[in-house]
Amino acid sequence: MPPRSLLDVDDLSNEELVAVLDRAVAFGDALPSRDLLAGVPVLNLFFEASTRTATSFTLAEQRVGADVISFAPGTSSLGKGETIADTALTLRGIGVRVIVVRHPESGFARRLADAFDGHVINAGDGTHAHPTQALLDLMTLRQEFGRFDGLHVAIVGDILHSRVARSNIVGMRALGIDVTLIGPPTLLPRDFAQAGVRIERDLDAILPRLDAVMMLRIQRERIEAGLLPSLDDYTQRFQLNRARLRALRDDAVILHPGPYNRGVELTDEVLDDPRSRYVAQVHNGVFVRMAVLDLLVNGVPVAA
Amino acid sequence: MKTLVKGGRLVDPVQGIDALRDVLIENGFVTRIGEHLDPDDARIVDAAHAIVAPGFVDMHVHLREPGQTHKETIATGTAAAVAGGFAAVACMPNTEPALDSAAIVSEVVRRADAAGLARVYPVGAITRARAGRELAPYHLLADAGCVAFSDDGSTPRDARVLRHAARYAADLPTVFISHCEDPDLKGDAVMNEGAASVRLGLDGAPGLAEDVIVARDLLIAADAEKAWHIAHVSTATSLDLIRWARSRGVQVTCEVTPHHLVFVDDRFDDYRADSKVNPPLRGSHDRDALRAGVLDGTIDALATDHAPHGLDEKAQLLSVAPVGFSGLEVAVGAYALALPGLPLARFVELLSVNPARILGVPGGTLGVGSPGDVTIFADRPWTVDARLFRSKGRNTPFDGMTLPRRAVATIVEGAVVFEHGRVLPREDVTA
Repeated sequence: MPPRSLLDVDDLSNEELVAVLDRAVAFGDALPSRDLLAGVPVLNLFFEASTRTATSFTLAEQRVGADVISFAPGTSSLGKGETIADTALTLRGIGVRVIVVRHPESGFARRLADAFDGHVINAGDGTHAHPTQALLDLMTLRQEFGRFDGLHVAIVGDILHSRVARSNIVGMRALGIDVTLIGPPTLLPRDFAQAGVRIERDLDAILPRLDAVMMLRIQRERIEAGLLPSLDDYTQRFQLNRARLRALRDDAVILHPGPYNRGVELTDEVLDDPRSRYVAQVHNGVFVRMAVLDLLVNGVPVAA
Repeated sequence: MKTLVKGGRLVDPVQGIDALRDVLIENGFVTRIGEHLDPDDARIVDAAHAIVAPGFVDMHVHLREPGQTHKETIATGTAAAVAGGFAAVACMPNTEPALDSAAIVSEVVRRADAAGLARVYPVGAITRARAGRELAPYHLLADAGCVAFSDDGSTPRDARVLRHAARYAADLPTVFISHCEDPDLKGDAVMNEGAASVRLGLDGAPGLAEDVIVARDLLIAADAEKAWHIAHVSTATSLDLIRWARSRGVQVTCEVTPHHLVFVDDRFDDYRADSKVNPPLRGSHDRDALRAGVLDGTIDALATDHAPHGLDEKAQLLSVAPVGFSGLEVAVGAYALALPGLPLARFVELLSVNPARILGVPGGTLGVGSPGDVTIFADRPWTVDARLFRSKGRNTPFDGMTLPRRAVATIVEGAVVFEHGRVLPREDVTA
């Protein structure tokens, strides 16, 4: 039984996860016919601004033939008067069968899914989860290495505030990838440590040993919040730049969930480096989202 | 009016009694204790197979009146109290307006009398409007009936204000009560900081947010030579600080809630606010230290922090839903669940003797001449159904749980106000 909703990567069994990636690869090789979700009303409900994810979902929905409705309500309209349960009931009554939702509060997708008699796909909830981003990262890694087990991946930066990091940790651990988290203590508390997940503070010591490094965006508001002294102090230790690129193996790859801040977590040379996979990541995103829609709605089972 | 509590096991640690005894109450006071009392024309309360104790006192409840009567009223809150076995409650000043003037305190007392159920002891504010700037009129408030002072959920940020408050009020016996949470360290937290908050991507408050205010307030208590009470202790470090302060001669007492004794911070996977509370549910290390603190005597009192809210309010998103939940109607069972090895005499000390002593109010014993306030309870398992609460707040993390102990009957000033599952306002029985 495939899950009704995708709130985080661990809603999928490992078999389902691999099946989604297989399916995404197949969609990338040859687009499916547009009747996979023909006539299925899909609502994109983005309470938080998004360019890449919203566009990617919309294209994925159109390519499987769904009836696409997009709505950006702004953050305040829910929670003021109408409850989550009322909203869910209303949307189902209108006929919506799938909601793709992004919201600034952790857990919003879960609360909506618990109240909605249909499918919910979490397109990012607060600092909690962003499962389709993790799936496209995993797809990119598999294209590169052809395996997961035993890979060593580092995620660098503001782990505490990153839903991408959390979902990747969940997915990577499920597939046997060794994860090292790197960042300053204020953005990477010790509580992140778990079986298979190590915490390090020294990027230079780790870089030569990695199969992949994922650079997270650093936001200036962390300085105002007293979590970072300055961008200079951060970049001196954690920025991926020309010097550190030399320490990275030739067969390693660089991932970034975007949007990136040139000159902060990485420099221009990184984006131009042949090991950078940013374009492959966003390219894969559309196919992964098509595969997720197909799995949730059609329950496509899939022989691996 | 005579009321006879018959056939029960009387547990009265002040008198050193733990035996089958009948208790006779006449005109509101205990007049006789003995085996097989049989006076004429007394209202008989059957306590067979149950435990008879001096009336329980919950020294930390929120009755929401005035100002938030959609959450609770003095009438519904005291109905919940007696249904939970409490003959008296101390109500916190975070009403609207706050309990910072004699007029408002007098009105609370008047409405509590009109409700005719539990005794209500108001806790006055430490600063006007609980805003942390100007001192409240302690002597006027005490005269109006306040038994303690607290700014409740909003500790004064300015230590100088709190120090002057404590020094000004030092010649009153009335205790200061601290809700210890540093607002800056706590930030926008919705739960405890730890592995669970990190995994869920939720803002967590560190135990440190409590500990630094406990330390500050204990030092101010020492400086001002003011008796102090730390509300709802939730961390192991807080208990260590309290032990240290006592070793230095500071007159300090403390309480713990049922929820901090039973639950840990693993209750947020559904992102619902049912377990959102201040201070937050902590990890098992702290929870275990609290249980040990009850058993070793560090903790003086059990208090519910009964904090009722509407179900619709608690159903909001975690970030905006209010903190707290109903506690009065589950407390007796919840304490027994958390502390299965606790001797009955100690149970009664924590729920009656000590809170009465800390607040300086009558009760805590059923010796001849004492107030006729009685709690009768029994070790009979029952399952919590919050829909049946007398409180307007029908939200509790204990909902659906089976608890090993329950209140059977409650007597206030000789009047049976709860028996056979029914709440009986006083005028009904005196008529």
